[in-house]
Formats: sequence, structure tokens, C-alpha cells
Amino acid sequence: MKSIIIGQYIPGKGMFYKLDPRTKIVAVLFIMISVFLLQTIFQLLIALSVAIILLLIGRISLLKVLKGLKPIMILLIFTFIFQIILNREGTPLISHPMYFTIFTLIFLILAFIIWRVLAKLLRFRFTLFFLFAGSVYVILRFVDFGDALIEPFNFAIYQSGLEMSIFVVIRLLIIITLSTVLTLTTKPTDLTQGIEKLLHPLKRIGFDSESFALIISISLRYIPTIFDEANKIMLAQASRGADFSEGKLKDKLKQVISLLVPMFIIAFMRSEELANAMESRNFVPGEKRTRINELNFNYKDVLATVFSILVLAGSIVLRVI
Amino acid sequence: MSYIEVKDLTFSYNEKTNVLEAVNINIEKGEWIAVLGHNGSGKSTLAKTLVGLLEPKEGEIFIDGQILSEESAYEIRKKIGIVFQNPDNQFVGVTVRDDIAFGMENLCIPREEMLSKIDFYAKKVNMLDFLDKEPANLSGGQKQRVAIAGILAMQSDIIIFDEATSMLDPFSREELIKYIKTLHKDGLTIIMITHDINEALLADKILVMNKGKVYAFEETETIMKKKEIFTDSHLELPVSLDIANSLELSDKHKEIREKLWEYALIK
Ligand SMILES: Nc1ncnc2c1ncn2[C@@H]1O[C@H](COP(=O)(O)OP(=O)(O)O)[C@@H](O)[C@H]1O
Ligand SMILES: [Mg+2]
Repeated sequence: MKSIIIGQYIPGKGMFYKLDPRTKIVAVLFIMISVFLLQTIFQLLIALSVAIILLLIGRISLLKVLKGLKPIMILLIFTFIFQIILNREGTPLISHPMYFTIFTLIFLILAFIIWRVLAKLLRFRFTLFFLFAGSVYVILRFVDFGDALIEPFNFAIYQSGLEMSIFVVIRLLIIITLSTVLTLTTKPTDLTQGIEKLLHPLKRIGFDSESFALIISISLRYIPTIFDEANKIMLAQASRGADFSEGKLKDKLKQVISLLVPMFIIAFMRSEELANAMESRNFVPGEKRTRINELNFNYKDVLATVFSILVLAGSIVLRVI
Repeated sequence: MSYIEVKDLTFSYNEKTNVLEAVNINIEKGEWIAVLGHNGSGKSTLAKTLVGLLEPKEGEIFIDGQILSEESAYEIRKKIGIVFQNPDNQFVGVTVRDDIAFGMENLCIPREEMLSKIDFYAKKVNMLDFLDKEPANLSGGQKQRVAIAGILAMQSDIIIFDEATSMLDPFSREELIKYIKTLHKDGLTIIMITHDINEALLADKILVMNKGKVYAFEETETIMKKKEIFTDSHLELPVSLDIANSLELSDKHKEIREKLWEYALIK
């Protein structure tokens, strides 16, 4: 539990590490907006290849970015499938009947069992999942013998549906890659300080960006501590016979409450002690203070900002003509 | 005038019962004071009033001749720092460096000066190799040492330890005590709240609190001979001192008494 990574920051060298966090935030924001302005798959593919080239220049391993994509893979797959199913305009690319007979059922169950067994034995979860999905399609398509359990139905993929789903998935891919690069190459402290400085002009309307950033950085600092604590309480409860993994919903609810109540009480005491510690070290909310972490904006930042502005301008032009 | 003067200090959380009552203390510069007293006797409350975290109901506190008030609290906290019991609840920074810097940032000290002070004081508490480490990767004792460095970096010369060793394992506890000894040698004024009498023996003077009042405040050697002070305050003397006190005050036992004292101090 000691090594929970905050954010995804991985120390390294390369050009993205040398940029000011403010530059990175603004540039990522601009490029994200540009990506939303693009309208054809072709434009998006160009954007994707530019993004990949930038990653290579910045010496960021594509493998790490792909790992960052893993948690939202499911989201991407569902987006893709929903787009295909829901969009029924234009000419159909594929259109053919599907069957569901007694044999279909048997084959499906077989495929399911094989998938689960292999998934337990092998490590290629995603590949296996795709193989399983593919075999479901093949079974529904070709196993037409035996007594039909339901009437044959029509399966169709429309051109616009396919295009739309590819479009949406690539767009998501680019956006997620961009934000991964940001969090991968920027320390959480620098990120919060960058946000603080960017939000600073809001002081005029009464928004205290410094306290806001301090709150974020303290929250980041306490995430591992709180995880640790939850772990300890869970162990303590478990040693008194509580079981967090099994039981009925009602029992589970009880366990969760037995975890939450002490955690809130501890958090309450903690916040009071923390406030005392901060005050005793002369912290006054909203007062001016110097900073140990310094941001410096140099020519590289100018270049990066100009680049992102050009990208944004370019995509606006493409949108208009 | 003493370096720290507490005059007729009375404090209450709820206006009804006084948690501190007519407390009078004088502490000289460079003294090491141990504060003993059972749970709820008002030790932490006294510590918090000394750094201006709580406002007295009655009475006055002078630090280095300056009266403590809402206006002067900022100035006075440059002189006096406090290390609390729970190492986790006072670590503000994301890294050791950030945490040592926190107090200095609040004092608006220029960055360059902060950087050199951080190195200097981190070295002093032997944490120089850990400057980039996050608190999750530090032991309790290391976090307490970082807290000390943060206070020293603000140029404070009075440090209060409010049961700062009580959540540490025996080894880290001993180590922290070693650092406190060095601070004392360097001339800092130390107020160490503890419930460990063996720890208290290291101090120049011992202050015993009982139900919000100063029950006794005397030189360590003198107070340790008055068994009734400890029994009255539900505190237990180390066995060796108990034996030493029960020996006749004749020259015959002098050597044994001295040995027993030595034994208590080592332990
Ligand atoms: N924040 C608070 N609000 C109300 N009462 C408090 C608070 N903190 C402490 N007390 C009470 O004040 C008394 C003294 O507490 P404290 O100074 O923490 O004692 P000690 O540190 O000697 O154990 C106790 O009776 C305690 O219950
Ligand atoms: Mg206390």
C-alpha cells in the first residue's frame, strides 16, 4: 500500500519534461479543442500521426501511453459498438441474416467456457475477449442448422455508422493520449501550481487560486495516508470477524459503514490537527507567500504555445472552409 | 524578565470549567523543561496557548519580552515552534523539501535563501538524502525530524514537543531524543511534554500539571526526591529512583543512590 502512485507521473527527460506546466496545460487544452473541430476521419488520422510523432520526438514510450489507455479500453469498445448499432443511415456495408438455433446455443456455451478457461490460464485478456466476440459473430452467422429457437433476424452495419464509430474512437484516443502525456510528464505539484497561476486572474472576481491549489496539493499528499488508514481499519475489522469480500448486500453495507464511520472521525481530527500545524507555522489563508517550486517560462514554452495556437487556428480554418 | 513568562493564565473551552487555571511559569533561555501530567491535565492546551493557537481567557504570556496577542502572534510564531504527537497530521508538503519550506514560504523568505536553509537544516536532522521523498515513504521518526527542520528553518529558538515521541517505535524514539539533546546543546529552549518519566529525567526542570494547575515546577533532581508529588498526580517514578529515595540520607548510601540515579538516566 506504500507505493500508490499519485497521478501517473514518471520521472524522465525529453522535451515535454522541460516545458512549463502552464504551457502544457494551455497547449493540451488548445489541441483538444482543435481535435473537436475536425470533421473527417482523414483529418483525424493526420492529427493522430502528428501526436504520435510528437510522442516519439519527446521520447515518451508508446507502451506507457498504451498502458495509460488500458483502464478506458472498455469505454472505447462500448463507444465503438454503440455507434455501430445505433447509426443506421446510408448504404449498408454488410447485411445478412443471423440464426439462433439449439446448436447456436450449444456452441455459444462452449465458446464461453473455452474463453473463461483460457482467460484464467493465459495473460492475453484483451486478445481473448476479441476472439470470443468474433466467435460469437461467426456462430450466429453460420450455425443455421437445428431447430430455430427464435426467428432469424437481420444484422447490418451501415457505412455512416462504421465511419462515425471510427471517428469517435480516434478522437477519444487522441484526447486521452494528450492528457496522458500531460500527467505522465508533469509532477502533481507542478500541475497544481500551473493551474493556480493560470487561474490567478480570477482573483478579481474573488476566486482565491492559491488556496485552491493548496487544497489540491494537500489532498494529493493525503491520498496515500488515507488509503493506508482504510487498510488498517479493514484489517482491524477483519481481525474481529468482518468479511469485506462476501456476504449479502445488507451485510456488505454494514461493513462499509463500519469502515466509513471511523474514517470520518479520524479525518475530522486530522483536519483539526493539520490546521493547527499550519497555523503554528504562520500560515494565513489568502496572505502572500513565496514559493519553493518555481515555474520558468522560456523560449521552448513560447515555441510550444505558438505551435498549439497554429494547430487551433488551422483547425478553425478547416472548419470554416 | 524571563524568556518565557506565563502570568495567571486561565483557559476554558466552554466557559464553564477551566482547563487551565492561574498558571504561572517562568522559563529561561536555553532551558530544557519537561512537562508531566496524566491525560487531560491540560498539557496540550498549555502548549497551544503558548503558540497562540488558543486565546487565554485571563492572564498574559510574554515571549522574549513581547506580549502574545492576536496582533503579535505572527511575530511570536517566528520564535516558537511546536512538534505535535501525530507525525502524519503535521506534514503539509508533498515532499520533504516542500514541508521544510512551508513555514519559510509563509514568512515570504526569498527562494534562494529557502533552498540553502533547507539544505542546512535537513543536514542537521540527517534528512538531506530524503529531500525528494514523499511522506508515505518515511518513518514516523523521520517525519518528526522533518517537522523539527521546518521549525529551525524559521529561525525559531523555542521548540515545544507535545508527546512527539509517543507514536514512535522504541528505536526512533531514542533517536529523536538524541536530536533533542543536540538542540539543547545548541542553546535552544525546549519544552517537552511527555508521559515517559525516563524521558523527563533528561530535562533541567520538570513541570507537573494536575487538573489544569501547576502542581510543581522544580529542578529535576529536587523534584525526583519528592515522591508525594508523583503519587498525588498519578504518575509513577522509575523503580530505581523509588529505591534511591527510600534509602537513608546518610553518606553510607550516597554511592548507591548515585548509581541508581545514573541507572534511571541511562534508561
Ligand atoms: N478542542 C477541545 N474542545 C473541548 N475540550 C477540549 C478540547 N481539547 C481538550 N479538551 C479538554 O481539555 C482538557 C485538557 O486537555 P489536554 O490539554 O489535551 O490534556 P493533556 O494534553 O494533558 O492530555 C481535557 O479535559 C479535554 O477533554
Ligand atoms: Mg495532550
